[in-house]
Amino acid sequence: MDVMFALTVIKESKPKAIVSADNIKGDVHIRIKKEDLLEFALFLKTDSRLEFDMLSDLFAADYPKRPERIEVIYNFYSIKNNFRVFIKVNSKADETEYPSLTSVYNSANWFEREVYDMFGLKFKNHPDLKRILNPDDWDGYPLLKDYPLRKRPEPEEIKMDAPGYIEPEKI
Amino acid sequence: MFEYKDFLIETDKFALNIGPSHPATHGVLRVLVKLDGETVVSAEPIIGYLHTSMEKYAEFRTYHQAETITDRMDYVSGASNNLGYILAVEKLCGVKAPKRAEYVRVILAELTRISSHLVWLATHAVDLGALTEFLYCFRERELILDIIETVTGARMTPSFYRVGGLAMDAHKDFFDKTRSFIKIFPEKISEYEALLTKNKIWLERTKNLGIISAEDAINFALTGPSLRGSGVKYDVRKAEPYSSYEDFDFEIPTGETGDVYDRYLVRIEEMRQSLKIISQAVENVPEGEYLSYDEYPLYVIPPKKRALTTMEGMISLFKYAMEGIKPPKGEAYVSIENPRGELGFYIISDGSAFPYRMRVRPPSFCNISALNIMVKGHLVADLIAVMGSIDILLGEVDR
Repeated sequence: MDVMFALTVIKESKPKAIVSADNIKGDVHIRIKKEDLLEFALFLKTDSRLEFDMLSDLFAADYPKRPERIEVIYNFYSIKNNFRVFIKVNSKADETEYPSLTSVYNSANWFEREVYDMFGLKFKNHPDLKRILNPDDWDGYPLLKDYPLRKRPEPEEIKMDAPGYIEPEKI
Repeated sequence: MFEYKDFLIETDKFALNIGPSHPATHGVLRVLVKLDGETVVSAEPIIGYLHTSMEKYAEFRTYHQAETITDRMDYVSGASNNLGYILAVEKLCGVKAPKRAEYVRVILAELTRISSHLVWLATHAVDLGALTEFLYCFRERELILDIIETVTGARMTPSFYRVGGLAMDAHKDFFDKTRSFIKIFPEKISEYEALLTKNKIWLERTKNLGIISAEDAINFALTGPSLRGSGVKYDVRKAEPYSSYEDFDFEIPTGETGDVYDRYLVRIEEMRQSLKIISQAVENVPEGEYLSYDEYPLYVIPPKKRALTTMEGMISLFKYAMEGIKPPKGEAYVSIENPRGELGFYIISDGSAFPYRMRVRPPSFCNISALNIMVKGHLVADLIAVMGSIDILLGEVDR
């Protein structure tokens, strides 16, 4: 079955939630509002015609010039029907009501932690929202566009009493 | 006088750190294990010790410079990772590589799959105490790296693909060496199996261990042999064929129970299937161009001979090297079957010579996230076996 079939099913069932839907180079991209996200994901997973049983990927991109700068992209895949759709949701970086999909897909847990780590987007009702790749005390969110490439901690932040630390002139 | 109750000890849950630097974690992974005696109550993998922010780095590199980042993520199967990246850029530009280049890419990707599975088998066996296996596997891995070096000039990080084809044409030596490898390798797989498959100790250590059901595996977005071990027949090479995989005849091996032993069998069988693909590809490599420069001069590098003998070729190569390619605005997603699972590249282009955002969907990242439900209730020694059977690579988990 073609993925366009999935698009028509989604369009028929959830006409109100969809902001826009288009087909870029054979991939279906659907933009929805963040309020509808949880319900939409449940629908994708449970609908018998679609059965999107795998949340294959979840990541974000930063567009600083937009009013809602973070764009979260969900990559849903249906193993049975071989469908793949990309759901896009826009959000502000300091959004407090952004829904988490951890109650629907287990794989969302680590992906959402990564988005939080890299973009600072806080997912509501996430069971264990903490940094995953960067250290817990890291300053800033590295994948935002205004974060410089080679940012280092300020010199005064380096602890001089750390074990093994030798004064530079003694070396 | 002492009474009996004085000799009883208070027991409590015990937290144990395995790693970050531990030979059995195959990299710098830390697993925070809660123990009740010797039984695992919960295991939380803590990652990030190898994080180098490769996705951020890619935003400051041209499209071809960023290719060299991708093979350093999964340094055991570099050619495979390059393939995923280059296919994504090609999709972005609307470029298609010529048939000859696609076949050579398939040969390299499948050779890499075998070599990666050999590394996995070697280290997994060492973890469980079968040291001989290690020497056997690395003996044949050396042959494969030799073949890859013949054509790409590098053993582990080739970066040999270009948008629209290859960096240079594959030499006759490459095909000859591959042919002689195909001849000797099937009996070597039997050698590995003779040591392990019916070995009583191996069976005791791996059977009914680390079981994950098909529903759980899908819910955790597991892919690759870890998913197929649970009986789900999902392989990107069949589901969405890329780079001429539809031309080849091969099977997808699957397991039944989803334990460590099933994942072992799946990977062993995959090596045989990869060999089958390689032999079909080597025999049917078409003659012709290795770069589709004539069809897409805007995005594709001119072949070396053209660049050195014609004026247009020279100018084109110069522009290409100085400015890089500029794909049109848009987004593209391509996923391929890496030795570890589904490796996806999502690239957003804003029309400049640098990727606006490169997202890697790392298979090991998802696979290791399901560690907790696999090891719950088993012993600590079994945790090592389960971790080995998932076949993680920390360079790719952390990026």
